[in-house]
Amino acid sequence: MSDKSTMAAMSPSKRRLQKELTSLIREPPPGVHVDEDLTSQNLTQWIVHMEGAKGTLYEGEQFQLQFRFSSKYPFDSPEVTFIGGNIPIHPHIYSNGHICLSILTEDWSPALSVQSICLSIVSMLSSCKEKKRPPDNSFYVKTCSKNPKKTKWWYHDDNV
Amino acid sequence: MKVTIKSWTGVATWRWIANDDNCGICRMPFDASCPDCKIPGDDCPLVWGQCSHCFHIHCIMKWLHSQQTRHLCPMCRQEWKFKE
Repeated sequence: MSDKSTMAAMSPSKRRLQKELTSLIREPPPGVHVDEDLTSQNLTQWIVHMEGAKGTLYEGEQFQLQFRFSSKYPFDSPEVTFIGGNIPIHPHIYSNGHICLSILTEDWSPALSVQSICLSIVSMLSSCKEKKRPPDNSFYVKTCSKNPKKTKWWYHDDNV
Repeated sequence: MKVTIKSWTGVATWRWIANDDNCGICRMPFDASCPDCKIPGDDCPLVWGQCSHCFHIHCIMKWLHSQQTRHLCPMCRQEWKFKE
C-alpha cells in the first residue's frame, strides 16, 4: 500500500491517512495501538485500542476507539467514539461512547492527527479524579444523533 | 598538457527554505507538491503566515475556505495573516 504509484493514485485524504497509519504502526504512542488488519482494509474507518495509563483511575482497563473520516479529512475532523463493551466512565464521555472534546469539533485543526487525538484522549482520562458519567448522560443518550459531530457541544470544563 | 573543454552541462538543485520538512496540513514534504498538484516548485508554492508557520499555498487556502468565521493558523491557532 505504501508503494509510491499506489499512493499517487489515492485521493488526498487517503494519502494523508495512509501516511498517518504507517507512522502510527511504526511509532505508536504508549498504550495506543491501531488495529492494522481492519484499518488497512478500509482507510476511512479505523479501530484503535487504548489502555488506561499506569497510576491513573483507568490503569489495567482496555478501550476501543472508532475513527471515521470523510473525504474532506484533514479539513474536516474525524468522527471519534468509544465502542465495544468497555466505555470509560468519565465526566466527558457518554455511555454511548460519545466524547465531549473540543478538538473533535470547533477546535479542530488540520495539523492535528489520529496520534494527537489519541494523546488528548489518554490525557483526558489520566487527569480524571473521579469516575462518573456526565450529569446529563441519560437525557443525552436518549436524544442525541448517532453522529457525535451533529451534537452542539457546550464545552464548559477544562479541568478534567 | 593542454585541455580543451568541448562542452559542459550545468546541474542545479533547489529546495524550499522552510522551518520544517513537511507541510503540517497534507504531511507531504515541502519539496514535493501538495496532494492536488503533480509538479513541485513555483506551481505549488509555499506561503508564510505572520506567525512564521508555513504551508503549501493550496493547503492553507483550502483550510481558510473551509472556515466560516475564524481564520486561524492550524499550528498555533493565532489569527492567520499572510506575511508580506
